[in-house]
Amino acid sequence: MDPEACTACAECAKVCPVVKPDEYQMGLSSRKAIYIPYPQAVPCSYILNMEDCLGTNPIACGKCTEVCEPDCINYDDHDRIVTRDVGAVIVAIGADVYDPTEMDEYGYTRFDNVITSMEFERLICAGGPTLGHFVRPGDQERPKRIGFIQCVGSRNPAIGRPYCSNICCMNTIKDTLLLADHYPDVECTVFYQDIRAVGKSFEDMFQRSKEAGTRYIRGLPGDIEENPENGNLTLIAENTTSGQIERHEFDMVILSVGVGPPKDLAKVSSLLTLSKTSDGFFMESHPKLKPVDAPTRGVFFAGFCESPKDIKDSVCQAGAAASRAVALLNAGEVHIEAITSVIDADACKKCGVCASVCPYSAITWKKGEVAVVIDAACAGCGNCGAACKFDAITMRHFTDAQYTAQIRAILAEDPQDKVFVFACNWCSYSGADMAGISRMHYPVSNRVVRTMCSARVSEEMVLEAFRCGAPIVLVSGCHYADCHYISANRQTVQRVQRLWNKLEKAGVRPQRLQLEWISAAEGAKFAKVMAQMEELRKTVTMEEIEQAKAALKPKPKKPKKEKEPAAVAG
Amino acid sequence: MATMENFKCMLCGYEYQELVEEGEDKERSCPKCRSNSIRHLKARPSQDKTNGKGKKAKQ
Repeated sequence: MDPEACTACAECAKVCPVVKPDEYQMGLSSRKAIYIPYPQAVPCSYILNMEDCLGTNPIACGKCTEVCEPDCINYDDHDRIVTRDVGAVIVAIGADVYDPTEMDEYGYTRFDNVITSMEFERLICAGGPTLGHFVRPGDQERPKRIGFIQCVGSRNPAIGRPYCSNICCMNTIKDTLLLADHYPDVECTVFYQDIRAVGKSFEDMFQRSKEAGTRYIRGLPGDIEENPENGNLTLIAENTTSGQIERHEFDMVILSVGVGPPKDLAKVSSLLTLSKTSDGFFMESHPKLKPVDAPTRGVFFAGFCESPKDIKDSVCQAGAAASRAVALLNAGEVHIEAITSVIDADACKKCGVCASVCPYSAITWKKGEVAVVIDAACAGCGNCGAACKFDAITMRHFTDAQYTAQIRAILAEDPQDKVFVFACNWCSYSGADMAGISRMHYPVSNRVVRTMCSARVSEEMVLEAFRCGAPIVLVSGCHYADCHYISANRQTVQRVQRLWNKLEKAGVRPQRLQLEWISAAEGAKFAKVMAQMEELRKTVTMEEIEQAKAALKPKPKKPKKEKEPAAVAG
Repeated sequence: MATMENFKCMLCGYEYQELVEEGEDKERSCPKCRSNSIRHLKARPSQDKTNGKGKKAKQ
């Protein structure tokens, strides 16, 4: 369709023979194959859904083109991939509404008069399938007793959605006020766990809803029954305020459904190297200091895709994201910290391991070619440097040579009395600081070496510490959800797993290598772990330390045989 | 597909089994002592000798 030529005269839709459920109206009414997606669509132009259209396959229909005076329908039009060179990306892909079919205890799939809050929105809307006349789907009668069930698909770990969807309480309160305004004789009852009316004037709205006659019962229903004669529904719930099991009959039940991460989130996530929180939404760079920035530079978030939020918060976040993007675009030049990786082209064996472990896709590599670091994209976790077996990668300011020197210096005297700790800059090292600031007591045996990320700790660094006589080595980093380098600490886990196997194979007690996730706020955990490490250190004997030193000694490299010059014939 | 996997806490030595989903990305901690030093114990290879292609090798 040519949106500029279309006059929205609707002649095409009148003659279109295809009838499909209208997605916008939640399937409560139908649409044609050529339609306006929703009443307020901008531009106000018809669109042609080629999956539904009979246009050219199997037999040409073409009725819409015959009646289209402006001649704006083009069957040969097709999807195009548009390439744009951009300096910043704002991700605002929204969320998906929870589908309650899996929670069948509320009878959504069994009873006609059980609907979702989204379907209710369509039924009560003047532009909806009933033109705003509120009727129940079962018999088209106007319901007079309505029950709302909160937290359907929210705050429920059993279905993998332990988080609060943030918007459902206020949406229900708004719906009850709407019903009280349009139909004063309607009785509303809300079954809830907690009413979360946090926000400007929200508490006022909640009080108005109660004053309008809405009954709020604390306790979610455990069962629902339908009266087959009249389609009425009975909810059985424990009123946790009175401690009584109550039965309430309604004409209609509305499930206040939550929201979840959108379907396309994984695709966008891999495209832009973004990370997710345990809830499945995108993770911001820092929850307090960089709430709209993605860990990947130049990418910002707005709206639901970062976490469930209402319209006001979404607008605030969108404004902030736009400001951050504009500031970046107008900066003229971008300053980055010099903590980036450098690849030695001569030493590089072109294996591509560095590119495969980089969480930012900041290393480009093609088979048979030397890998190249994109400085502007490199965040400096050092994971590539730890993964490279050929010493071909140097991480500026945190080089292997610097770490080796630190390890040797720390363990030069009385190594048997020390617990050697690698702590990541963002969490564990700050956790150690927190323990100190909070005046927490812990054994003095630990010696902490700071790395930007726990993934910077290479196998060789751990082995070197054991060679220098460390009785215990602790690798510590951010919790999974807090990793400042998207998912780099997953590589730490794999590396430590390999090291445990190696140590065991070499006859070294693998328990001497420990792994802990300590956040910046967990000063108490740092102190507790240090005490545990000290207890573990006391179990390591001098014989064990000496045996490990001998067992982990690097094997001398075999000198390369020089090729003999080919014999000259004759 | 979820499989039952063996884990061992490298701090307290507690061994346990857990259902692991394919492609699961989960922080692990010991159910007993809460330590994160959790070693994934790989299943021991089967006693049956194979030729590397899933078929039994000729004895």
